[in-house]
Amino acid sequence: MTRDWLKHLILILGAIIVLAPFYMMVSYSFKSPGEIDRGEGGFFGRQEMMIDPRCVALRQPDRADIEAARSQFPGQDDAGVQSALLAETEAACSIRPAVFNYTKAFTEAPLLRYLLNGVIVTVSIFLIQIVVALPAAYALAKLRFWGREAVFGLVLFCLLIPVHAIALPLYIMLAKLGLTNTYAALVVPWTISVFGIFLMRQFFMTVPDDLIDAARMDGMSEFAIVWRVMLPTAIPALLAFAIFSIVAHWNDYFWPRIVVTGNRDLFTPPLGLREFKGDGDGSFFGPMMATATVIVTPLIVAFLIAQRRFIEGITLSGMK
Amino acid sequence: MAQLSITSITKRFGETPVLKGVSLDVANGEFVSLVGPSGCGKSTLLRIIAGLEAPTTGSVTLGGVDVTATRAADRNLSMVFQSYALYPHLSVGENIAVPLRMRELTGLQRLPVVGGLMPGAKARRQRIASQVSRAAEMLEIGALLDRKPGQLSGGQRQRVALGRALVRNPAAFLLDEPLSNLDAKLRVQTRAEIAELHRTLGATFIYVTHDQVEAMTMSDRIAVMMGGEILQCAAPDIIYEDPDDIRVAEFIGSPKINILPLERSGTGLYLFGRSLEWRVTNAAPEVMQLGLRPEALHLTQHAPRLTGRVAHFENLGSEVFAQIALNDDALRVTLRATPAQRQMLGLGAEVGLGFDTQAAMVFDPDGKRLRKVEAMAGMTSEVA
Repeated sequence: MTRDWLKHLILILGAIIVLAPFYMMVSYSFKSPGEIDRGEGGFFGRQEMMIDPRCVALRQPDRADIEAARSQFPGQDDAGVQSALLAETEAACSIRPAVFNYTKAFTEAPLLRYLLNGVIVTVSIFLIQIVVALPAAYALAKLRFWGREAVFGLVLFCLLIPVHAIALPLYIMLAKLGLTNTYAALVVPWTISVFGIFLMRQFFMTVPDDLIDAARMDGMSEFAIVWRVMLPTAIPALLAFAIFSIVAHWNDYFWPRIVVTGNRDLFTPPLGLREFKGDGDGSFFGPMMATATVIVTPLIVAFLIAQRRFIEGITLSGMK
Repeated sequence: MAQLSITSITKRFGETPVLKGVSLDVANGEFVSLVGPSGCGKSTLLRIIAGLEAPTTGSVTLGGVDVTATRAADRNLSMVFQSYALYPHLSVGENIAVPLRMRELTGLQRLPVVGGLMPGAKARRQRIASQVSRAAEMLEIGALLDRKPGQLSGGQRQRVALGRALVRNPAAFLLDEPLSNLDAKLRVQTRAEIAELHRTLGATFIYVTHDQVEAMTMSDRIAVMMGGEILQCAAPDIIYEDPDDIRVAEFIGSPKINILPLERSGTGLYLFGRSLEWRVTNAAPEVMQLGLRPEALHLTQHAPRLTGRVAHFENLGSEVFAQIALNDDALRVTLRATPAQRQMLGLGAEVGLGFDTQAAMVFDPDGKRLRKVEAMAGMTSEVA
């Protein structure tokens, strides 16, 4: 009993450490700047009406406005009219903090465009990774050819190379090919996933040889076996790989930051977050956290949907 | 349907020889079992016939055509695997249809939605569906066509695998230990069904098994394989009664054949120092082995050739097997007796054994059958 209790305590502490940043992110995305600065308002903030300072600054009444509005406020001097107009503007610019944060997230930067870019890039990477990894894994697991072990050794070796070590040569290659600031630059370096090859190879090792021989007897070519027999049996492993691949490339900040210089149309969601980095006119933590929340939501939803099969795939118990 | 012959097939995996020059001719419509202990190369031989493995040397001909270099799918052979090897993501009906779809539909016609719109596809798909349902009817799995293999029992999967094999109407069926994953009762039942299927279809069957009972009960001929060679290929009764090699004699038959040392001194033959009435010439080796099936032995009080003590016995109801320890437990022989003789077989009882001269077999020290010696000794000529 005590052991159980201790186990749970440790797990709960771990969970708190992991979840705390998410809690802060979601909480900040609801709060007004004042509440964020002062650290008050609980999880949701008080949601009192706040005044958008930029909105007010943009609609500051000038001389002409005061002249035009004079008839509405008879018997008042210029200062009186100005303060009345200011009050009107402030009323028009007041807004709930949560609405403010999320509206800003979508209006300040073309977030939808970024999300679309994120989908295009991650899906292209994933599909091409499968097209490459499945036949490679099949060959490494099930075909006998000279040098197979050496090739597999190379695959394992490549798993050890950190991305950051080869980032510069990759960038230079892409730059020489004139591919920087294109979708290709975001996709091409990731199309061969040694991790994917390794994971699928390990899964294919568990597929009985008889199944492949049966397919050969039935008249399938080797490629047909990969796509019509191995792929359907490997769905759980593939889902596990999909999660790894999609999470990694959806969240990637490093590589897009390197190869996308300036062209905002190619920004992926994490690059979009930079738009809210603190400028001279104060911090934008609220909208920034709202953007972050919008960015991670699709991943969390996808994971929850695929959770069961994902865990199956990790434990490689998909067959039988 | 076709006559199949394999000629001096050898196969090595790296440095290890697996098959050492195997030749076998199988007539059209024949049921031949390849039987042997595990690792004897029988599965490799089957895979070479199937085209899943290439022989190192030698050739395979099918209906008079050399198919050694033909790929597996184009040989028009069907194979049933030990693990059934059904496609887990396809339903039973789809599983059975796969070989037909691969053969009769073009790549475009196989496409999921568009395929149905291709010219000629509809008629062919209907033909395939009717062939599938005919095969399913034959194997009584018509009700299971929409299920996935995961939802079936072992016996049902076995039938689906058979269905997938017979739907393509192959030149020959290759079966690789198809019954070894079934429980004992189902195995007996399926054994009969496969034999019946063979009679109905009249097709050539090549059946790999390590179970001698399966081989004995189903086959027209049995090829006993050991150490990468076919030791003998003959009808089951010949394999049992007239084996060429001591390894064949020992492998086939349960309980195992009794092997006793036989010595020659001059022209006389001696069994445990006791002289036998047979006479041979000096050409026979000095040391030989005598093989006696358990049913060739019988109890006798009158001038027994062997005496021993009952060490153990098993009553199977219809028959009794007793182990008799000879020479103070130096050697044990198995005797088959009738239940009526049970009283004589109390544990520890001294018994005398005689044997049928005609049923005795003589082998040289390396295990080769010495028919010449048997003839000389008059062991066979008594009949003639």
